[in-house]
Amino acid sequence: MKCAGDIDTREVEELYINIDPIQAGGRLTPEAHKAVIAFADGYSVCDNCLKPFRLDYINKPPIAQFHRDVAEWLNMDQVRVVPGARRGFQAVASTMVEKGDPVVLTALSHYTEFVSLEQSGGIIHEIPMDAGNRITAENAAAKLDEVTKKFGRAPSLLFVEHVDYQYGNIHEVKEIAKVAHQYDVPVLMNGAYSVGIMPVDGKAFGVDFVVGSGHKSMAAPAPSGVLAANGEYAERVFRTTQVKGDVTGRTFGIKEVEMMGCTLMGAPVVGLMASFPAVKARVEHWDHEVENSNKVVDALLSIEGTTVESEYPRRHTLTRINTLGSFDKVAATHKKKGFFLSSALKKKGVIGVIPGSTRVWKFNTYGLNDMQIDHVARTFVEVAEENGLSVS
Amino acid sequence: MSQRAVDAVFQGLYLFTDLRAILRETAPAHRLDEEQRAAVAKALEKLRKQADILEKELLP
Repeated sequence: MKCAGDIDTREVEELYINIDPIQAGGRLTPEAHKAVIAFADGYSVCDNCLKPFRLDYINKPPIAQFHRDVAEWLNMDQVRVVPGARRGFQAVASTMVEKGDPVVLTALSHYTEFVSLEQSGGIIHEIPMDAGNRITAENAAAKLDEVTKKFGRAPSLLFVEHVDYQYGNIHEVKEIAKVAHQYDVPVLMNGAYSVGIMPVDGKAFGVDFVVGSGHKSMAAPAPSGVLAANGEYAERVFRTTQVKGDVTGRTFGIKEVEMMGCTLMGAPVVGLMASFPAVKARVEHWDHEVENSNKVVDALLSIEGTTVESEYPRRHTLTRINTLGSFDKVAATHKKKGFFLSSALKKKGVIGVIPGSTRVWKFNTYGLNDMQIDHVARTFVEVAEENGLSVS
Repeated sequence: MSQRAVDAVFQGLYLFTDLRAILRETAPAHRLDEEQRAAVAKALEKLRKQADILEKELLP
């Protein structure tokens, strides 16, 4: 069925259980779907934009209140909505980093963190992972010491992932922030895989900036996200424009430089807002989500030759699994080659594993109900058994 | 201007959205439990009412 012209209607969430690693936390709530229907037009949230003409001052729809609510929920001083986490990284890097400054991120940082620092001219240094694919305070301290000695000054910014996108591992953010602050290095926590799906308390972590992704973990349309900041850093990253036209003499009120004025309008912002009550509620059920994640991982581990590359038992719903010794052996002789796995899963109502992947791949069980978790776990085992693999 | 017709269109779209949510939570088999069946029946009844309103308002 087409929704317009040559564009197919997207029905995957209605027809299948989707375990795609990046899509799980961004599935819209029914409330967000309804809000998007009502506010799909471009400048729809601007009907009641009054002086001082800035998005986060709009009271109808209650965008101003939403900003206050998100700041309180994250336990941070100030919040702005942004068009995706990457724009949050970019705003902070642009504010904090001068050309030639040493900066620190991690061996598990997302490419948008790298690129945002590249845009600002920062000299990149990665904190290495430990043997368990985790970023530790010990490794962070060693890197900060090394970089500070090398440059004769401390790095101007440190990025660290609360949960990384490769393994779904949880890292030592609080301890790393403590170490960084001993060097007076401000810390940005990338919460793209945590803000909106599990509890996050910015002040408890002791970080200076928190970035979240609306379309990855807050049940919101793309592109959307949040940037939160504390104290003096909030004042810096959310500074207002001082520019003046030399011919016209025009000035631009309280527009914020890094936000480029208004950030997120129409469907993305109302979708983010409409899902927020459900998002606040769902983070309280994180333990059950982790329990479900472990059920599926355990089913996979019952297939002989399968190993998990993420930390185990799982503490998150995004998991990196290694099936070189199981499904990849089947692929070697199967007429569909590596495509047999995604094909077999789809026939049984499960999608989201990259077609062709039978070696090392990722999946995410976030948001599936108990019936769907049982279905996914059973499906992996059935596909293994149907292809002659041993299941314990 | 027909406020009633406009409201009926949005109400209908929201009811369809509730049905869409049930399709999502019961995927892939779409086997509904008693509570879900009752929710579908209620939504369909309300949808028929919205269709009646639209017929009266737009096709008098």
